[in-house]
Amino acid sequence: MIQIIDLSITYITPSKSVFAVNNASLSIPKGEIIGLVGESGSGKSSLLMAIPRLLPSNTEVSGAILLDDLDILSLKKDTLNTIRWKEIALIPQGAMNSFTPVLTIGKHIEEVLTFHMELPPHAIKQRCERVMKEAGLDASYLNRYPHELSGGQKQRAAIATALACNPTFLLADEPTTALDVITQREIVETLATLTKEKDMGLLFVTHDLPLAAQICDKIAVMHEGEIVEKGSPEEIVKNPHHEHTKQLVKALLHLEGEEI
Amino acid sequence: MTNTILTANKVSLFYPSRDPKMEGIWALKDISLILKQGESLALIGESGSGKTSLLRVILGLIQSTSGYVELFGENINTCTHHSLIELRRKCGYVPQDPYGSLPPTLSVIDAVAEPWLIVYGRKSRLDAYSKARHLLHTLGITEERLLFSQVRFGLSGGQRQRVAIARALILEPRLLLCDEPTSMQDASTRSEIIEVLNKRVKEGMSMIFVTHDLYLARAAASHGMVLLKGECCEENSTKTLLTAPQHNYTKALVAALPTLSSAIQRDSRTNLLHNQYTP
Amino acid sequence: MMSLFRRWSFLLLLFIAVLSILAPFSLSVSPNQEVAPPFSTPLWLKRNLPPTMKITLSENILKKNIAWPYNPPTQIHLSGEITLSVPSALVLETPTQKFVLHHLTVGKNTFDIDGRDLSFKQRLNFSPFAQIPSELFSEKGEYIFRVEPDFSAPPEMRGTITFDIKGGRWGLLGTDQRGRDIFSLFIAGIRVSLIVGISATLLASLLGLFFGLISGYAGGWTDTIIMRGVDILLSIPILPILMVLAAYWGKGLWQLVLILSLFSWMGTARTVRAMTLSLRDSSYIEGLRGLGAPTFYILWRHLLPETLPLLLANIALGVPGAILAEAGISFLGLSDPRIISWGRMLHEAHSFGAFTRGAWWMLLPPGLGITLLCLIFLDLGKFLEEQIDPQLKGALKQ
Repeated sequence: MIQIIDLSITYITPSKSVFAVNNASLSIPKGEIIGLVGESGSGKSSLLMAIPRLLPSNTEVSGAILLDDLDILSLKKDTLNTIRWKEIALIPQGAMNSFTPVLTIGKHIEEVLTFHMELPPHAIKQRCERVMKEAGLDASYLNRYPHELSGGQKQRAAIATALACNPTFLLADEPTTALDVITQREIVETLATLTKEKDMGLLFVTHDLPLAAQICDKIAVMHEGEIVEKGSPEEIVKNPHHEHTKQLVKALLHLEGEEI
Repeated sequence: MTNTILTANKVSLFYPSRDPKMEGIWALKDISLILKQGESLALIGESGSGKTSLLRVILGLIQSTSGYVELFGENINTCTHHSLIELRRKCGYVPQDPYGSLPPTLSVIDAVAEPWLIVYGRKSRLDAYSKARHLLHTLGITEERLLFSQVRFGLSGGQRQRVAIARALILEPRLLLCDEPTSMQDASTRSEIIEVLNKRVKEGMSMIFVTHDLYLARAAASHGMVLLKGECCEENSTKTLLTAPQHNYTKALVAALPTLSSAIQRDSRTNLLHNQYTP
Repeated sequence: MMSLFRRWSFLLLLFIAVLSILAPFSLSVSPNQEVAPPFSTPLWLKRNLPPTMKITLSENILKKNIAWPYNPPTQIHLSGEITLSVPSALVLETPTQKFVLHHLTVGKNTFDIDGRDLSFKQRLNFSPFAQIPSELFSEKGEYIFRVEPDFSAPPEMRGTITFDIKGGRWGLLGTDQRGRDIFSLFIAGIRVSLIVGISATLLASLLGLFFGLISGYAGGWTDTIIMRGVDILLSIPILPILMVLAAYWGKGLWQLVLILSLFSWMGTARTVRAMTLSLRDSSYIEGLRGLGAPTFYILWRHLLPETLPLLLANIALGVPGAILAEAGISFLGLSDPRIISWGRMLHEAHSFGAFTRGAWWMLLPPGLGITLLCLIFLDLGKFLEEQIDPQLKGALKQ
């Protein structure tokens, strides 16, 4: 389980300090899908990036992030590297546009494997084929270049790369923005099936509450740096506590034609 | 028919390929529609469906390969350049990308007032700025400081979109074309903006509202046309499109759109998509 | 803006500009005037050489002590216009000797004696081939120069007597081949470098902006013609052309500015054109065109402000080029000799043998001056680029 306890993140700029996250607490149990929903600027991406300690250097982080009993925030660099990708894998925002154009998809995955694990060549090949299948892409795509893939396929390739070292936890930051509605649905379903089959924990960050509600076991709603609501999708829709959540749910239901 | 605002008759648009070995693509194939005064039409489609191309053809920014468009009764292919400008002044256009649609070096209020000043000249400055201010207030941008700050600094994506809508509305257009104008808004602002637009439609403005979200289409327009790869695959009232879709693509769209209500009705989290349509 | 005022280059530039403006008022003599023997070294070098000095005796000061730890001077000159109450003698007392330089009578005395005058040498009982300065100043020690009355009555004098001693050292930076003070020349030269550098670049930037905007916005044949014109101009080597034009049109300062700008607007034109091309297809510009906004309005109100930051950075970076071009032209001797510029100073130093004489103080100041000015503008350009970049990033990040 990943436990985030009283996490606060401040960005320090020459003119002023901006707090991005304020005393946020969240748990991501193994085998569960947790949604983190908020508008742009609510701090959700910062919270996600704090877990593998990938925030920029001008940030101040306080609080604790526990991976079972290990406090990630106090780890040394080399220990941190054993956790990254192997325990916790990241699918960052805009991952599908972050592929190196001159390397094939296969080479990308191989790079991860070579850096983080010691495997003989044939084992590497097997692993690549397996993760592609898990992500829903045919193994032949390993030899294709990123520009030859559609948006949805690139996102699946990003998922495959994240799965390379068999992580226990997946962190996905807006994995479906800029994708078509139908592709979006497919990707989200793939993520859900995948995590359940492999008993992984998934943190799913998005601005789209209905989308998160499709697959998440629990949703945390973030507003201006704070987690204002936590609960299962039913609880959030039927019984919102915070004013912000109430307005959000009301507007969404109104659009769907359902009034509560 | 004096109150037919827009007629599109079998409009097709072909983009030839630069590579001689490859074929070009048909961005639009035989699209026909009629829009009368006070009517609103939702164009439902995703990227590559031809929705943006259709808007550009209607405005005369691209010439169609075949078929014609009549704006306010005049054929835009055969009218003079001067007439086309006059026709365009009666239309408002909100492009999809909020980052290219506003002049970066102007202040927010200048950017909204600009179209009025161009059409009616500098003597109508007072009119222009009071209208601009009123529009921005209606769309939720009220802070004085924001009104006078430059567009390129200090505006979020959502704010930009609203400023772009104000800029399109200042000339009191008889036809408004908007391409995903609420994509960057959060749920509550989205409904507010659609209310503002609907109010104008009631007052006689015609509107074409492009979106990929059928629920949004229903809120914004009474009638909808679903575009797939340049062709119209289904046309009906927006309500019917949602409740009783005919075409496979429309059905797949309805099934794929995430809703809160569907989320809390399911008992299992991994509910596979009943995919009757393969793209 | 505030960060600009704190920048070293800006402050230094301000200082230099003020210096060049105030200098003509503070310097007592025109830089062109001869003040000391040619190729004098600066005062802080070669301290065994005597500095060129002027000793004056006037109304109440009839005696002056001269400390003389130096070698003999090269020339001396005595002049005076006085009225005296008693007959006296103009006397130079060395540590060991006393020389009567001139007899002064009662009443008006006007005299002008050069150390090389034969009559003077004879009066002092030296041979016609003797070097008076070496004879008079043969020892190191305390000298006294005064008006000594023939009798005991103290003389009353009106007017001044001047004893010009020409030595080997002068001023902060010595003198050039014409005996002009190099420091004054150096200050005077600032003006030319700044004026030529800035005005040539400004003019070039205006030309570049104009052609770039038109070319980028109009497209088609206009664009093609202008760009081919740019290509042709770019392939002409600037130095030979400058030499030809200088010979043909004359060597004036403004001719130089004109020629320099005519041959350096092309780079800016290309950059502005590229920017215009990318901007002109923005949605909002398309919308403005569709509404019927006049082309001039679009260029003036939108495209110009958007390209302006880039232009400012280009200007700041173009000034060093113009300064160096002017310096190069002057160094080759193609500039107006009447105009003092650093390049010209280098030219004269080179032509009149500063290298062979080892007179490095003639070469280093103008050279360093040019370098310093270029560095200042490069830093300002860097500052402007930094200002532009965060702005661009700021717009996209939203």
